[in-house]
Order: sequence, then structure tokens, then C-alpha cells
Amino acid sequence: MSALQKSLHPDEKYKAGKLGHSLQRIGLGIAAVFLVISLVLGATHGDHWKRFLYSYVVAWSYIFSICVGVFWLVLLHHLVRGRWATVVRRIAEAMSMAFPIVFVAGLGFIIPLVAGYQDLYYWAHPDAHDPEINHTLVHKLGWLSPGFFAFRYVVYGALYTAMATYFIRKSREQDGNGDPKISEKLRIASAPAMIVYALITCFAAFDILMSMAPKWYSTIYGVSFWGSACVGGFAALALMVLGIQRTGRLTHSINSEHYHDIGKWMFAFTFFWAYTAFSQFMLQWYGNLPEETVWYKYRLFGDWQWVSIAILVGFFAFPFVFLMSRWTKRIVPSLVFFAVWQLVFHWLDLYWNVMPSYDWQTTFHGAAQIVTGPLTGNTAYHHVGFSPVDITVWISMIGVLLAGFGRNLHGNLIPVKDPTLGLSLAHENL
Amino acid sequence: MSSADATMESPGHPGHPEAGKAREAFRAVTRDVAWVAEAPRPHKAWLAALGVALIMLAVGLYSIYVLVTTGVGVWGNSNTVDWAWDITNFVWWIGIGHAGTLISAVLYLTRQTWRVSINRSAEAMTIFAVMCAGLFPLLHTGRPWLAWWMIPHPNDMQMWPQFRSPLMWDVFAVTTYMLTSILFWYMGMVPDLATFRDRCAAKGDKLRAIIYGSLSLGWRGSARQWHRYERAYLILAGLATPLVFSVHSVVSFDFATSQLPGWHTTIFPPYFVAGAIFSGFAMVFTLLIPARHLFNLKHIIKDEHLEAACKIMLGTGMMVGLAYATEFFIAWYSGNLFENFAFINRAFGPFWWAYFLMVGCNVLVPQAFWFKKIRRSPMIIFVLCILVNVGMWFERFVIIATSLARSFLPAQWSYYTPTRYDVGLFVGTLGLFFTLFLLFFRYAPVIAISEVKGAMPEAHAGKKH
Amino acid sequence: MTDDHTHDPADHGAGYGQEAGPLYGVLAEYDTPGELLEAARKVRDAGYTEFDCYSPFPVHGLDEAMGIKRTILPILIFVGGFTGTCGGLLLQWWCNAYNWPWNISGKPAWSIPANVPIAFESTILIAVFTSFFGMWILNKLPQAWHPFFRNERFNHVTDDAFLLGIEARDQRFDAEVTPKLLEAAGAIGVEKVHLDPDPASRHMPKWITAFIVASTAFALIPFAIAAKARTSHSTEPHLHIFPDMDFQPKYKSDQPMDLFGDGRSNRGELVGTVARGSLNADDVFYRGLEHSEAGEQWTTGFPRQLEINEQLVKRGKNRFEIYCAPCHGYDGRGMGAVPQRVAATGGVWLARNLVDVSNPVSITMPNGQLFNTISNGYNTMMGYAAQLSHADRWAIVLYVRALQRSQNASLDDVPPDHRSGMQMPEAPTR
Repeated sequence: MSALQKSLHPDEKYKAGKLGHSLQRIGLGIAAVFLVISLVLGATHGDHWKRFLYSYVVAWSYIFSICVGVFWLVLLHHLVRGRWATVVRRIAEAMSMAFPIVFVAGLGFIIPLVAGYQDLYYWAHPDAHDPEINHTLVHKLGWLSPGFFAFRYVVYGALYTAMATYFIRKSREQDGNGDPKISEKLRIASAPAMIVYALITCFAAFDILMSMAPKWYSTIYGVSFWGSACVGGFAALALMVLGIQRTGRLTHSINSEHYHDIGKWMFAFTFFWAYTAFSQFMLQWYGNLPEETVWYKYRLFGDWQWVSIAILVGFFAFPFVFLMSRWTKRIVPSLVFFAVWQLVFHWLDLYWNVMPSYDWQTTFHGAAQIVTGPLTGNTAYHHVGFSPVDITVWISMIGVLLAGFGRNLHGNLIPVKDPTLGLSLAHENL
Repeated sequence: MSSADATMESPGHPGHPEAGKAREAFRAVTRDVAWVAEAPRPHKAWLAALGVALIMLAVGLYSIYVLVTTGVGVWGNSNTVDWAWDITNFVWWIGIGHAGTLISAVLYLTRQTWRVSINRSAEAMTIFAVMCAGLFPLLHTGRPWLAWWMIPHPNDMQMWPQFRSPLMWDVFAVTTYMLTSILFWYMGMVPDLATFRDRCAAKGDKLRAIIYGSLSLGWRGSARQWHRYERAYLILAGLATPLVFSVHSVVSFDFATSQLPGWHTTIFPPYFVAGAIFSGFAMVFTLLIPARHLFNLKHIIKDEHLEAACKIMLGTGMMVGLAYATEFFIAWYSGNLFENFAFINRAFGPFWWAYFLMVGCNVLVPQAFWFKKIRRSPMIIFVLCILVNVGMWFERFVIIATSLARSFLPAQWSYYTPTRYDVGLFVGTLGLFFTLFLLFFRYAPVIAISEVKGAMPEAHAGKKH
Repeated sequence: MTDDHTHDPADHGAGYGQEAGPLYGVLAEYDTPGELLEAARKVRDAGYTEFDCYSPFPVHGLDEAMGIKRTILPILIFVGGFTGTCGGLLLQWWCNAYNWPWNISGKPAWSIPANVPIAFESTILIAVFTSFFGMWILNKLPQAWHPFFRNERFNHVTDDAFLLGIEARDQRFDAEVTPKLLEAAGAIGVEKVHLDPDPASRHMPKWITAFIVASTAFALIPFAIAAKARTSHSTEPHLHIFPDMDFQPKYKSDQPMDLFGDGRSNRGELVGTVARGSLNADDVFYRGLEHSEAGEQWTTGFPRQLEINEQLVKRGKNRFEIYCAPCHGYDGRGMGAVPQRVAATGGVWLARNLVDVSNPVSITMPNGQLFNTISNGYNTMMGYAAQLSHADRWAIVLYVRALQRSQNASLDDVPPDHRSGMQMPEAPTR
């Protein structure tokens, strides 16, 4: 609670220089190589690209969620006139500007969907229109139709991009003139931006992830997705900040006080995600309504139960206990470890959300047509079956994300003339 | 504490003029807060308010008497609408209490120093609100004298409490919340009670000095003690934050674990928490806006603080609105006939008037806070805060009574009207709340003196940085 | 630096006209928090350990300046919280899953999702208690008195004063050097503080100690009463503090009642009514009677409700041996335990021989009549209708028939594979 200020160290390297270009090149390289590998694996998987596309959705949701999480810091910081985060805010803004690239990458599953691919989302399959087996599905097929779905996808992308662009552009403008009125403008803009952000994040989660099991529903799903997105976002921010510092930049400005705060947010959101995930699980377990429990029944028995336990321990219990102490957040190797850890488990959580739906299919046993999988809770289809394409697509999308980050890491890496910079540099924790 | 002890004075150095100003500022804070408690005669407005509050409390006591001696049948509850005003009031009061903990704990963790002017009153408000809230689950059991059965103890009935029930979770959550709030509030008051002690001792008021002295545990402002105190305060704040979330989430579980359409939905926990903060802030400022005016505390409870509170109310109000929208959307999305009906019934069924009151007060009214003019006008804020509380009361009423009145079996459908004892008890809890708050305001340090001093720029006087 | 108008610090201030007790320490007042910080640093650097600073609010940076070690309180709180978690889970497991499990709405007795909320709350509760009470205990508060309270300046600590006090028991304390050090650091006043000359005043007054002991003892009385009540017996009826519904305005069985002429609260059956389930219309099954044109006759078969099989025979055997064998004997020949006993005492007790071919009353008796005898008795034989259900009585009839057959059978009646051991052995020939 000190009102102390510091000024930017005279020797501080805050120009990105070629950093962004390098990162972009590396990212594109990784993306391209692993995409090729994934395409080969996907083609040879023998299910007409189904596994490839499912992994694509998981990986895309992963990079999308990281952008969502990082952007949250930008919006919140402006909304509450935050002080500690000014030194890392430009980095977060640059990371948020990966939205357009992320949404372009997402066309990799949107375009097949619109072009008529039936096996990714059940509601795109002709069986969905059968009122006898799907009477709770037919009424929403107008909403869940490839065309409208893709339209909403474009709207989300456009809105995220527009907001991220506005915030970084205005912030960069302030580098030139140090005008405090810009901070005011950004603060005023952040309020409606928050509202739009909340709506499109919830609906993006409903659309892309929840509709994987289209007869299932949960009102908290969007909030839970946002919670896990923020865990990933802060973890990615930590790694980006530390990575930039390793190149010799910003070494005087960002110190263990800021790491501590990033770690605190990671901790807080780990807890918040666990709270929303537990609420969703416990309430649906307790109410015991078949239309809701089918989703969990599928994930808590058979092979999937091990994944569930891994997520409970790995994404929540272990980081929660260890991130409680102030030291794990302040010491670089420890923070890196937990950031990487959470990023891995965040992917696993999204995998767990999406991949069980892979097993639904209309199969024929003898002459009878049986709809199986999460929609009927048939436990015979409980195998997880990790496939290499899951990992390669994931790495490919990480490359896309890095390219997106790199594209916007140019110019000043710190908002040099932001009025709150002095406070941020002098920031101290209790 | 006289200076009759033998000391040797060395004149030392004369003080600096700026230091003198800083110390005068500290003394001013002490004086401005302490005079409220030290005024020989209470303010007329305070007496009048206390009188009204006591009358309301008396109405409540009578209602309780009739309830306990006759039975729960004196309420308007029926087989269909078996939870009505009783549980609505319970949730309403608990929700109000949450703002206090949020102001104390969450704003502390997020380093919002403006909280220091309002946190003490807000914490007190929390405790009184939780006391009022606790009455309702106790009384609605029908045999409140058997409430001790809910505490696990060896007995010869071969019964243990049903820990798997949300109603038991409530017992633990509300008890924990009550105890935590009291401990946190008291801990914060100890340095200020020491201030009161020293002032009374200096004036020669022995009785008060002994009372304040006992309560302040012999506090002497030692830095070594401040060190542990600060760590404990930080950790308590860190514990109170998840506690706030958990308590109202557990309250929401009372509804969400059921299978009733309109009740069983997963977003209830965060939605209830947001709503609690919303209504709690509204109640804090309903109390503090007149108080700061009457007791000349406007320079401590500043207009900027009111403005910040308005923004928080706007934010949490929008979260509540988002929850309404999500519920509506998913009710349609689910394709569940009963869910669909439940939401249509809310807007067009027999309780439509309550629904529109709720939407009006919770979604529309806070939109006024977008405008700076309104945020800077205490009178308007006061009125809007009352409307917000009304709206939040109706939200709980709509959730409870509307959903119950039109549940699965049409043969069971009925309407609900409260009886005079429902209303009387609610009025009584308002009376209890205001009585306790007025007493607190008169006798306790209503503003966190030591925290205000620590947050002032003068707290860094003389530092070489 | 001080100049010549200081008093001799060794002077015990007898000029105030009072006896001063031993020196407790030295207090120095500083004008601003900043100066207090500086002074604390100097005192720490000079090697003092028994010193403390006093301020109306915690001064930022003072902990470091004084060299205060971090408190162990957070560790204690963590342990407390963990104890709360384990305690909460243990309580629920022991009560609901181990000691007295109830099936309530099908939830498992040990159901972790339902046990989490209480475990969470108890974690917080115990952690909060540890935090609160631990902090006061470690701070050694409540502390009724401290010698520095004797100093006038000290009483402004809670208002606006910043003091530094060094205790005389510190190894480095010197009555001359120490005050000079404090002054040199910028004190606006340095004073010595002496203990009260009367040593008795340094301890808690006896009456306070007595009051505390007495009130603690009184407070234990209710618990003692409860403990005695729980561990002793009493012939007194329970106290009904809340009568509840213990005394109800209703009649219990066998109570006298004025309303009816016979003065009883028990009422018999109403004439012309039959209790539901008591019609017993089937004469064959319930009474062993058949109706034909010739009138009523005892039935010679078995009721159609019964399946005549080995199980029924075994049931009949089981019932016969309980109810009939005491008189009729296990072999049905009428010399059961009762007649034997009566004969041994010189009396006569005639139980019919049920299997006697030479006096075949029971053999020729129709089944229905046998049934009637079992139900209603004959001569000194009581009826067993109250003890045996109708089906059981028919089972006994069946068994009696089996007995009659078996007691009058020849070797040819036995299936060949069961005959071994039943042949009379050949008489030995000489």
C-alpha cells in the first residue's frame, strides 16, 4: 500500500527490436511442421479426419482461451485503475492481439463444418434432425446449424479483435504523448468492453465446447471456461514475461514483486476454476437428472476416470497447495514450473471436455442402429485412447499462438509514458 | 498513567513543522471518529432512529412469540409453497452481509485503500445481518428449541446430522461465516479500542477506560505485535475471501441441488455471490450515506468512495443480469419443457408483478450508475440503493415462491400470500439490524482509525525514498 | 547532539518528590514515521535486541528496519487449516458412513461431492481460529499491564506518537549511552521509565485472579451437571422443558374412558363389519370345508392355493416339530415329551397316536377335519389358530399324512437307491 514511485531505469532495454519477428518466425515454423505431421497422422487415422478435427477443436480452444485469459488482465487493469500491472500490460496487450490469427487458424475446423462435414458436431449430422431419438435437440437446430454457428464465430472473432486492437492502439498512442486523458478513455471503454467480453466468452464456450454434447447443458459452463482460460492466460503471461527478460529486455523493470502478483492471479483463478467446476459437477451429481448426469457419467467411469482424477489433482490440488506460499510465486524456477504445469493441465482439461464426445457414433450392431456414446451414457465406449495427432495438433496450435504473440511484440514493451508506470515499477507486496 | 513516575527528560530535538502537520492530521482522525462515541448526549436523529428501530424490533419479538407458541401455521407457507418469506429473508440478509466481508477482505487483498473509511461499519453490518439471517432457518424448523440436534453429539436417538444435505452445509457455512466475521471485526477494532481507552483514561473516565481497556487486550502499538497482527490480518483476509464465495454458494446449493425447474441450475453459486455483493453494497451505503451526513464524516467517507461503490454495484448488477440472460438462454437451449415453462411462468404467471419489479430494480436501476452525475449525488444514490435492495429481495422471492407455486404437478399449484406474522418477523429483523447498528455507531469505533492513518499520505512523512 | 542543559541521566528524579523503582527502560519519541525508521535501524545496527517501536498504525518498512524475524503464524495456520479439512471429512465419514449409515435419497454414505462443502468450511473455521487465537497468543496478549504505560508520552501512541523503547535488561543497555544514541537518531524527547517502587503493583491484583478462577469454576458447573446426568441413573421421569407433543389429549390403549358405557377406550369390532383383509371367504383354505349338494363336508384334498411339494412337507415338518411334537411325539405315536413327563410323575396324559393303523382315527379323518382340529383343538388339545397361519396348518396336515405313510411303510415303498442300511441284518447262523 505504498504510494511510492520509481522511474524507468536509464539502462533499461524496453524496445522489442527483432524479438517479435523472431518469435513469429519460430511460431510459424513450429505451426507449419506440426501441422504437416498432424495432417499425415489425421489422414492415416482411418476415421475420415474425425480424430484430427476433434484434436483441432481442443487445441484451438486452448489457444483461444489463453488469449481470452490474457485479455482479461488488460480490461481489468483499465477498469479498476490498476497499478501493479502496468509494467506487464503492454506484453499482455500484445498477446491479446493474437486473436485475429487465432480466429483465422480456427477456420481449420469451421470451414469443413460449413462445407458439410458431419462427424465433428453431432448437430451437424443428419441424425440430429430425427425427432424420435433427438426430441430435445431438434428445436435448437436453427441455432446449432453450421451457417449460424460460423456466423457467430466470425462475430466473436471480430469483436475480440476490435477490442484488443482498440486497447493496444490507444496504449501505444500514449507512448508518444503521455496524455493522461488516454488512460481515462481506456478506462471508460473498458466497462462496456467487459460486458461484451463476458457475453461473447460465455457464448463462445457454449458454441464451440458445450455443443459437443448438444443435448447436455450447464449454465455455469461459460464462467467455468473463463476461469480456466484465465489460469492459462496468466501462466502464459508469466512465461512470456520471463522469456522476454531472458533476452535481456525489461530486466530492471519487472521483478519478483510482479511475478508474485502474476502468481497470485494464477492461484486465484486455479481456485476459481475449481470452484466453478466443482459447482457444476456436484449440482448435476446431486440432482441426478439423467439428461445432465450423462455427461459426467461418461467421464467418471472407465478410462476417463483417471483423466478426471489427474485434472482434479493436477489442475487444482497440487498447484493450489503449492502456490499458496509466497515463495513459489516469487522465485523464477518455481513460477516457471507452475506456469508450464498449469498450461499442460489446462490443455488436459479442455481435452477432457471435448474428446469424450469423439466416441459417439451411430453404429450398427447386427441390423439395429444404436446411437452410442455420451448422448446415451453407454459405458462400453469409455476408452480414452490418446492418439499422437492430439499432441501434434496441440503443438501446431501453440506455434500459431506464438506467431500471433510475436506479430505484435514490436515497439515498446512497456507503456513508457503511462501515468501509473512509476507506481508499477515501485510496486511491493506485503 | 500519571506522570508522577520519575523520568528524566532530555529535551532532544524540536519537531519539524511538517511533522507537526502530519501529527495534527492523525489527531484529527482520532478526534473525528472518537467524538461520535464520546459525545455526552446522543444526537437527536440517532435517538429518533433508535426509537423507530426498537418499535420494529418489538413487532418482531411479538411475531416470534406467536410463531413459537402456536406453530409455523401462522405463516402463509403451504404444502406447495413451503418456503416463502422465511427463506427469502434468510438469503436476503446473508447476501447483505457479504458486502462487509468483501469490503474488508477482498478490497484489502486488491489493495484498494479507499476501503479504510467504510470497512469497520461494513464489517459490523455483516455481523448484524448474519444474526438476522440466522433467525430464519432457526425459526422455520417449527421446533427451534431442538435446533441443537443439528450439532453432532452422542445421543440415544441413533441419529447423526445428515451431512450430505445442503441444509446442514448451511449450518456449517453460516456458523463459520458468523464466527469469522466477528473475529475479523473484533481484531480490527482492538487498536482503535486502545485509542478509545487512552482517550478515556486521559479524560479521567475510569469506567469507560476499564471497559475499552479490557476489550483492547492491553494493546500498545508495539511494532513486533503489529508484525504478527498484519500477517494474521492478511491471512484472515485471504481466508475470508473464499469464505464469502463459499457461504453464498452453499446457500445457493439449497436450491440448486434440488430438481425443481428454476432452482436446479449450475450457475447459481457465482450468480448468488454476485447478487449478494450487489445487495450488500447497496445496504452499506443505505446506512452510511445518512450516517456520514449526520455525524460529519464526509471528509473520511468521501464522495469518491461513494462513486467507487456505485461502480461496484453496476458491475455486480451486470453480472446478475448476465446470469438472468444465461438462465433464459439455457432454459430454451435445454429443450426441457419444465424449464421452459418455469421461465415463461416467471414473467407471465401469477407472480409476474414480482418478476418485473425484480428486473426493473436489478437490471434497469443500476444502469443509472453509468452517469457520473448520479454517482456523485448522495441523495440519489441513497434512493437507488434502497431500490436495489428491494429488487434483490424480490429476486429471491421470485426464485423461491414462483418456482414452488408452479412446480411439476398442476394439481399442486397454488398462490402464496404472506400473513401478518411473516411481515412482522421481517420488520422485526429490520428493527434488530438497525438497533444493533445504531448501538454500534454510538459506542464503537465506527471507522478503522489505525487503518485510515496508515493509508494517509502522512503515514510516510519523514521517509527518505 | 545534546548540549549542556541536560540533567544528569543518573539522577533518579528524586526532584519529583517520589521514590522511583528500578529502571525499566528508556523511551524516545520521534516526530515522524520516517525518523522512527531511521532510529530503529540505528538501534538494530548498534546491536540492541530488547527494543520495540510503538506507533498508531503499522509503519511500512519498520519490520525490516528493526530486524524482526518473520512470524511462524502462517505455518501454524496452514496446519490448522489442514486439521480442519481432515476433521471435517472424518466427522462426516464417521457419522454418516461408519457409525450409523442411513440411505437418504440414494446418496452413497461416503459421498465425497456432498462432503466437500462442510470439509471446506471446517478448514476455514479452524484456520481462522488458529489465525486469530494464534496471533494473540504469540503477541502475548491480553496483557493487563506494561511498564511503559506509566509514561505520559506513551499514552499518545494510539493517537499520533511514534516511540522507540529500549528495555534495561538488554545486554547493551547503558544508562548513559543508550539515551544518547536515541537522541542522536533525532528524538524530540527521551525519557527514562521506572517501575513502580512497590513490587506488588507489578503483579495482577489478587482479587482479579480470584475473580477469574471463581468465574471459570462457575462456568464449569453446567457442564458438570450435564456430565453427572449423563453418567448416572435416575428413577425420576424426564424433565419436559418443552412439552412438545409429549402430553397429548388423546386416549391410549386400556385407559378408562367415560364416553362409552363400558368405560373402556378400547373398542371392539363393529357388528356386521369385517376388517380389510380378514374376510377369509375361501372355506376350503380357511376352514377345510367343502360345499356340495350334500351340504358341508370336510375337504379331502388340499386347497388349490398350495403347491404340494417337498418344500411344503418340510415346512410342515418344521412346524409339527415345534407345535405338535411335544405331545404327539416326533414320530406321531403320541408319546411326546409331555405325556412322558406326566407318566413319569404318575399321571396320565393322552395324546392321540396319529399313525396307528389299528386305531386309524387320524388316518381316516379327512384333511379338512385334521385342519379343523389343529385350528380349534379337541378335548384337552387347544387350538393353534392363533399361533399358526392357515398355510402352516395345511403344511402340518400334509406332514401328518407323510408321517402316517412313513410309519406304516414297507421296504418296497422305499426307492431302491435309498434302501441300503434298511435291511434287517440276517440273523447269525451257528
